[in-house]
Amino acid sequence: MNRPFFEALEKIYPTDRLLTRDVELLPYESDALTAFQTKPGAVALPVTEKEIIDTVRLCHRMKVPFVARGSGTSLSGGSLPIADGLMIGLNRLNRIKKIDPEQRIAVVEPGVINLHISEAVRQYGLYYAPDPSSQSVCTIGGNIAFNSGGAHCLKYGMTSNHVLGMKVVLGDGVVTQFGSESIEGVGIGPDLVGLFVGSEGLFGIALEITLRLMPTPQLYRTVMAAYDNLGRAGDAVSMVVASGLLPGAMEIMDRLAIKAAEAAVGAGYPLDAEALLIVELEGEAPQVEAEFAELRGVIEESGAFEIREAKGEDERARIWQGRKSAFSAVGRLSPDYIVQDGVVPRSRLGEALVKIGELKAQYQLDVANVFHAGDGNLHPLILYNGREPGALEKAEALAGEILAMCVELGGSITGEHGVGMEKREYLPTMFGPVEMEIMRDLRRAIDPEEIANRGKMFPSGEAPALQTHGMHPLERQGVISRE
Amino acid sequence: MTGGVLNSVAELQAFVNSHGRIHVVGRRSKTALHQVDSDVVLADLSGMCGIIEYQPQEYTLTVLAGTRVSEIQAALRKEGQYLPFDPLLPDHASIGGTVACNLSGSRRHRYGGIRDFVLGAGVVDGLGRAFSVGGKVVKNAAGFDLSKFLVGSLGQYAIMTELTFKVFPDAPVFQGLRLRYGSLDDALKAIFRCNRSSQELDVLDFAPSNRGWSLMAGLAGFQDTLPQRAKQFVAMMREETALLDARKVEDDETLGDPLAGLTGAFLVKVVISPRQIPRFDALVRELPRRYSAGGNTAWLATEDIGALKEILEAEQLPGLVLRGSVDCPLIGKQSENVLAARVKRVLDPHNKLV
Repeated sequence: MNRPFFEALEKIYPTDRLLTRDVELLPYESDALTAFQTKPGAVALPVTEKEIIDTVRLCHRMKVPFVARGSGTSLSGGSLPIADGLMIGLNRLNRIKKIDPEQRIAVVEPGVINLHISEAVRQYGLYYAPDPSSQSVCTIGGNIAFNSGGAHCLKYGMTSNHVLGMKVVLGDGVVTQFGSESIEGVGIGPDLVGLFVGSEGLFGIALEITLRLMPTPQLYRTVMAAYDNLGRAGDAVSMVVASGLLPGAMEIMDRLAIKAAEAAVGAGYPLDAEALLIVELEGEAPQVEAEFAELRGVIEESGAFEIREAKGEDERARIWQGRKSAFSAVGRLSPDYIVQDGVVPRSRLGEALVKIGELKAQYQLDVANVFHAGDGNLHPLILYNGREPGALEKAEALAGEILAMCVELGGSITGEHGVGMEKREYLPTMFGPVEMEIMRDLRRAIDPEEIANRGKMFPSGEAPALQTHGMHPLERQGVISRE
Repeated sequence: MTGGVLNSVAELQAFVNSHGRIHVVGRRSKTALHQVDSDVVLADLSGMCGIIEYQPQEYTLTVLAGTRVSEIQAALRKEGQYLPFDPLLPDHASIGGTVACNLSGSRRHRYGGIRDFVLGAGVVDGLGRAFSVGGKVVKNAAGFDLSKFLVGSLGQYAIMTELTFKVFPDAPVFQGLRLRYGSLDDALKAIFRCNRSSQELDVLDFAPSNRGWSLMAGLAGFQDTLPQRAKQFVAMMREETALLDARKVEDDETLGDPLAGLTGAFLVKVVISPRQIPRFDALVRELPRRYSAGGNTAWLATEDIGALKEILEAEQLPGLVLRGSVDCPLIGKQSENVLAARVKRVLDPHNKLV
């Protein structure tokens, strides 16, 4: 990192908020995709909006690339530092600036933790709907960058659907605002919120965000059904959809995932099942009870050998704890693993699972499957040992074949984790040369020096990375998980 | 004005490449949007119509942009599904025009507006390039989401040729309710009470009536559960708001139609938040009007667009004129946004699309 840049940074930050020593930089070397590690030149920890803006303007003026980071839970390497670039840590901008329960909105800073919003508005009977499984630590700024999802996306949408307005600083330091406190958001004129959310930090940094809140459902009803094969569980999902019900969540886990989750948290899952389906309905009590009666009928017809209804909030929480911890739990069976995030049309889930089974045999690697069945979002978990020569490459090749299959079946290479570092070489499998050219032109038009999160999303970018193995320190402690 | 009816993407590309300033039209249901200068040619997409792919089991639908909304609704209805953003003017408007103008109806209150249900689009930009944005599955986080950007863009950045939507199963039965309040203040307090309740309303609109203010609420669900849910809702409102009277409404199509009764030379959509309504309403009290989606959209009719324009400018509210003859359909607060300008530079650098 060049001296004049560093000296300019020192004028913005006191020494305790400008980290430069190796030991201070270590925690920032990777995010939740631990296969990549890079040491940043420095880490700045702003506490005000002005400090962020001044920093971005400085970076633009001196052509120094930067990465904005919240809690570093990206599963696609989206917050991997740039070698000799600046890391801007946003965790200290963590104020919920406004809650207006009567208008169902909250205005927050980018470093606010996702779950803290729901906790803050619970007293008003409201919650913030997007629920990525790292929601207890991940920040809204990161959720915006990668358009995070969760288990309830089919019915309630992803982060983008819950952002009404934003103030942002673009990559060249220009500050702009769009959207409103109206549920219409932008409403008239192009939906700039929709464009900025999910731009993977390549356009700039969100400074202030207006969020839509939802009313807490009166009642949840959750059912768990065990099957003797995965295909039957997939068929059950199709039957639920065909019945005209709209569950808030439909999740499937395979045998390996069930066993690991059961061993980790004792969720009460049947250990003799080849597949487990979890379906949850929520809403007004009379309607949910009526829908649940119908759902029970559908599940009974679906060939499940065991059906269990959550009898209360504790049992429901246990079922979800098992589901949400499934990936970390499976990860404990193996020193290393890669999580994929492809999407296929729901009706082709069975086909996709057969193909993954074939690839698993071909590569002789274990693969566990946990997926958001309601929206066809697969999370195959490829287990490998990074200490074995060539093991990572083999696992990556398998992961690549799974992504190619998702595109071939008419789906997407990412449902909710974003492209980041991990899938950047696969973006052109989804988009043709014209689309790629337009996206590159957009990036350059909005951030002319291409300094905001340089090296992410587009193929053959910068940000060379070392490869390593093992779980992220937070993951090892069970704080985050790779859903 | 001259122009052409275009029946394919290739024809549209050739049209864009061979003309200067272009204005896209669908079924011309929103007259105020098509007042253009004499040197502007019209690209008529009404010939590009039809359902390309509808997979009820996937909850996805892909249609050509010129398709009439009512045609789409009829196809969905056969499978017990619907467009939850409740498109306006279904018998007249094309789906492309509906998205380009961002016109959701009253039932958007339950699950969201157009931006929440657009998954992807096929487009032709100002350079004549044909390309796709977004995807065709219900969940996708790959690439920049230009499909959302195009919602409300009025055809000024790229011309949508096809659109993919997420659709939902529709409830078997809809129950409308009309609740009467003595004042706007009481009606707004009732809206705020609804917003803090876990009652799931499909419709939550309010408008002045000859006996105070009328609040229109709609519940959707199973036949067996609706009476109980409606009873609970009315009981809550009776107990906790200044409700004067409530009645069930059967077969009243105006209950969920935000434009019902809004006669006047000009029809205007205004983006507003509920807390802005008291001050705004005091300025427009002579006009036929309705506040929709819990008070987040205002629909107004007027004979004097100039006066309304001044009010919106003073109140810093954005408006879109849908009906009537105006120089520019965008009125009130219309801030030039740097981000939008940069996208324009990429998609339409020669300012062809107007």
